[in-house]
Amino acid sequence: MPYLPLQIIVTLFVILVVFRLTKKYKDSILKTSEFIGWMIIWVIVLVVFWLPQTTSYLAFFLGIGRGVDLAVYVSILLLFYLIFRLYLKIDKQQKEITKIVRQLALEDKESKKTMNNEL
Amino acid sequence: MKTFIIIPCYNEAEKLANVINSVKEYGQVVVVNDGSIDASEQIANDQGAIVLSHLINRGQGAALETGNRYALKNGADIVVHFDSDGQHKALEIPGLIKPILDNKTDIVLGSRFLKGDKTPWFKKYFILKPAIKFQNLITGIKLTDAHNGFRALSKTALEKIRITQDGMAHASEIIEQIAQNKLRYKELPVTIVYHEFGQGVASGLRILRDLLFGKLNK
Repeated sequence: MPYLPLQIIVTLFVILVVFRLTKKYKDSILKTSEFIGWMIIWVIVLVVFWLPQTTSYLAFFLGIGRGVDLAVYVSILLLFYLIFRLYLKIDKQQKEITKIVRQLALEDKESKKTMNNEL
Repeated sequence: MKTFIIIPCYNEAEKLANVINSVKEYGQVVVVNDGSIDASEQIANDQGAIVLSHLINRGQGAALETGNRYALKNGADIVVHFDSDGQHKALEIPGLIKPILDNKTDIVLGSRFLKGDKTPWFKKYFILKPAIKFQNLITGIKLTDAHNGFRALSKTALEKIRITQDGMAHASEIIEQIAQNKLRYKELPVTIVYHEFGQGVASGLRILRDLLFGKLNK
């Protein structure tokens, strides 16, 4: 096994990530579906690093030349998906910020109006 | 009839006083100061306008919606959207709101192409005309202009139209909502005075992106 050190480093990293995920799940920061989704992803990472030939089977099945290529394709797709999710989230937050700013502007006007009426 | 003139404003201290003075006689002026860092807010106050202040800059669409909500809450019958940089002519306001006063339409949109216009040729043929084609295609409403910020809304239109696009894409969003709510609309010729280039190709693409992605978060 020529890349044993790398396997160990990745494994330690995955263990760390799984610990953090579990903690976040226990603290109710992650939903069950999110927790399971992330766990699956990291288990796949472990499988790919310890049993690289599995990716070759899958790649062959999907008609892609090498297992490594498949891993790269899947990673890129996953990254795009995550970026897309982030975009949506930021967009939603932008809209919420606008709502708050608008509410403050309108309330500020109202309070000034009542102040003037009282004077 | 209570008319509100809504002027979204972001750092327009130089021209704002003249703009407010020119529209004063046609209705209650509401300046939405969209997080300006210059003297815009002070100037608007000094000119006797109602000033609504966004703490931070949120974009023209957001500012117009704030103005719309304020007007609706304060019993507006008609709302006129007017730019703060002096590119619209106040003299044209009575003509713009007349069809609403006569109850012939719910919303009147200004069009710079209904009469001899002075649009720079590049902007006209490479930005506006394609944008108009695209807009007509997706909304199914036939218009001669896109992204003209000079428009008048009746109370009915005001109640139905909700601007959620904070940036410049709000102009297309309004057209979309006219179609969705089956509002009566009319286009009238208006003059646009060009001081500088205005919205360029990059902002055109930004509008397109906002429109496409804006649908995803509803």
